[in-house]
Amino acid sequence: MDVQRLRLIVQSIAFILLIYGGLFAIDLGNRLPTFACAYVPDNGGGCFLVGFQHMLSRPLPQFMGEQGIRLLKAIGIFALWAVVINKAWCGWICPFGLLQDLLTKLRTWLSIDLSRFSWIAHKRYKSVKYILLALLILIPLGIGNGLISRDWTAPFCQMCPARPILPLFQGDVSEFMIDFTSIPTMLLTGAAIILVGLMFTTAFVKRRFLCSYCPMLAFLSLFDKVGLFSLKKYGDLCTRCGNCFRACPMEIREIEEEKSIKNLVTQDCILCLRCVEACPENQALEARFAGFAFMKADAKAFLNRQHGSPAKPKPTPAQKKKNK
Amino acid sequence: MDNNVNSRPAAMAGGEKKLTRKERIINKVRLHLSMSVREIFEKMEEDETRPRSMAYFDNILAKFMHEGKGVIKARAGQKVIGTYCVFVPEEIIYAAGGYPVRLCAGSHDSAEVGEDFLPDVACPMVKSEMGFAAMPILEFYQQCDMVALPASCHWKLKMGEMLEPFDDVHMLDVPRVKEAERARVYWLDEVKRFQARVEKITGKRIRRKQLREAIGMIQRAQREVHRFQELRKHSPAVVLGRDALEVLNAYFYDEAEPWTGALSELNDELEARIEQGIHVAPPRATRIMLTGSPMVFPNWKVPFIIEDLGGIIVADEFCTSQRYLSDMVSVDEGTMGDMLHAIADRYVLPCACPTFSNTIERRDRIARLVDDYQVEGVIYHVLKGCHPFDIELKIIENLLQEKGVPMLKIETDYSPEDVEQLRTRIEAFQETLSGRR
Repeated sequence: MDVQRLRLIVQSIAFILLIYGGLFAIDLGNRLPTFACAYVPDNGGGCFLVGFQHMLSRPLPQFMGEQGIRLLKAIGIFALWAVVINKAWCGWICPFGLLQDLLTKLRTWLSIDLSRFSWIAHKRYKSVKYILLALLILIPLGIGNGLISRDWTAPFCQMCPARPILPLFQGDVSEFMIDFTSIPTMLLTGAAIILVGLMFTTAFVKRRFLCSYCPMLAFLSLFDKVGLFSLKKYGDLCTRCGNCFRACPMEIREIEEEKSIKNLVTQDCILCLRCVEACPENQALEARFAGFAFMKADAKAFLNRQHGSPAKPKPTPAQKKKNK
Repeated sequence: MDNNVNSRPAAMAGGEKKLTRKERIINKVRLHLSMSVREIFEKMEEDETRPRSMAYFDNILAKFMHEGKGVIKARAGQKVIGTYCVFVPEEIIYAAGGYPVRLCAGSHDSAEVGEDFLPDVACPMVKSEMGFAAMPILEFYQQCDMVALPASCHWKLKMGEMLEPFDDVHMLDVPRVKEAERARVYWLDEVKRFQARVEKITGKRIRRKQLREAIGMIQRAQREVHRFQELRKHSPAVVLGRDALEVLNAYFYDEAEPWTGALSELNDELEARIEQGIHVAPPRATRIMLTGSPMVFPNWKVPFIIEDLGGIIVADEFCTSQRYLSDMVSVDEGTMGDMLHAIADRYVLPCACPTFSNTIERRDRIARLVDDYQVEGVIYHVLKGCHPFDIELKIIENLLQEKGVPMLKIETDYSPEDVEQLRTRIEAFQETLSGRR
């Protein structure tokens, strides 16, 4: 089975569930670690970050009581999701990720070449998502304690590029705007529109450009070590051909470079498993769930995927006639 | 093409007298070469267990007896592009409608001719290649519309200029430290430069579709090579090591597609043999692996000695043989840039050539081959003057010591003089190996 095709199918189903689920009375809760936008009118589940930001905007003493328990409960649900599905949330479920993947498909169909960051730049930009995660916690706390104006409420929802776009799928255009009520809202919603623009333009240059800066990915990556999904590499079987690195939409170089680290779900990994597919060395890479290896690199399967299978002999005209 | 062949000796000759002397040399070398090739084929004919499907490959190499006429099957008007080493992307040549032919040579007789161009200490392979390029001994060396020469070792680096009077040379610079980011970017640019040059020679622009097809064609060849290698793992062996060397050596001159078909037939035959229980060596034959400087047809004295003495070559780590088609291009997005990047990566990153700074790829590969093919002993072949392989000897020796696999170093050239001496040493080595069981 072609994993990338399976992934596209899973992504599409997840997209329908999360965006239109409400119409079929489906509710997966509002603590999902993925961009299941809460602004979509009848969504099938909600993004964790919305509630998280609101819960954090309270005076500090309140966290010692009921509010603290509520917050811990929310984080607990999030952690559970994060441990069970890891960052397959990003690669296999996130509706916003699907949109970026589809734009990439359009780009390759148009035969536009990919562009890459230099290694040093990529390394430098990787920390941006953690800064955003820190701000995501600090700004609501600042609001709750009267340090920052209320106009900054849920800043990461206001500037999230998924908020203007995802409601469009239910015909709701009301979020696709810049909110001029105050300077902060103007800045934040303006940033969201800019990010939307970036998503569409960068999709013709890079793969999953915005994901590298996603605070949700940063949050999820805190659970890398305990996640049930793992990516194992047997360094002595690796020829360092670089196929995995080239296939990786997140440009993770460790996958090719490392010969000693065993678990290669690194901070940017979205578990799309393209590296395992691109690996031509038997068993050099394997994807595991709770210790069970469900996918292994395989030379034969690799060649099959590469359309290298022996061409079927063309039927001669005489045979064709017979068949008719 | 024909023009080239005729014009070359005339252009080289100063006067009438020189021409006759040169012609004498040419005739002598042709004769000696065909004799040594005939000897090889006579010996192989003695082997009654030889797979019938080897005939296809014999047919290609046997043409060395007849000035190499008809070895390459380029169609009229199809440009022939000669390549050296394992770094020249054949996919690009095929995609541009060219005919790649690998010119790495193993003839002692042409090496003697090549001595005029190079110092004594030069490796015999480079001498042999120079000899073939300078004199019309084998036809296809003169048919090349262009030769691509990677600057891998120092001999190859300087050989480009020496070849210039005889060939249209395109040098490819192979980066030495492949961990460096710029080195990779640079090598990709070199591949693109090569692509532009090939397009100019053939007059055809490479489009996405042609490149994808060319990659697919080589991948299909590789699929059969992998199958073949799996069959070589079988114990007792179903195919001799020298036959395996021949199969890959024939790929030098053949087109990928018919060659793939022939190898597929051979694989089918070998599979049938496993079922019928036909073997080419007794179960107790010592399983030997070759590594080091490549052995190119007709320099097969070492494999013949090993297998005449009852050993069996189960694997090798030669750039002319098992390593030639083992690494694969991985097309990901299928855009032009992606495919070129994939091609560039395939030819350099996993390559275990000793001209690269690190040995990790080579160490891992050898360690894996030893395990996979149940190798009992390793013969490390160093051609006199082949410094890169000589330098790495110690590292590989240590690795094999750790693994508990004995190693024998053989330093030789293409001349048949030391055959008896080699036989004695290899015999002693094989006795040690069987004594260890």
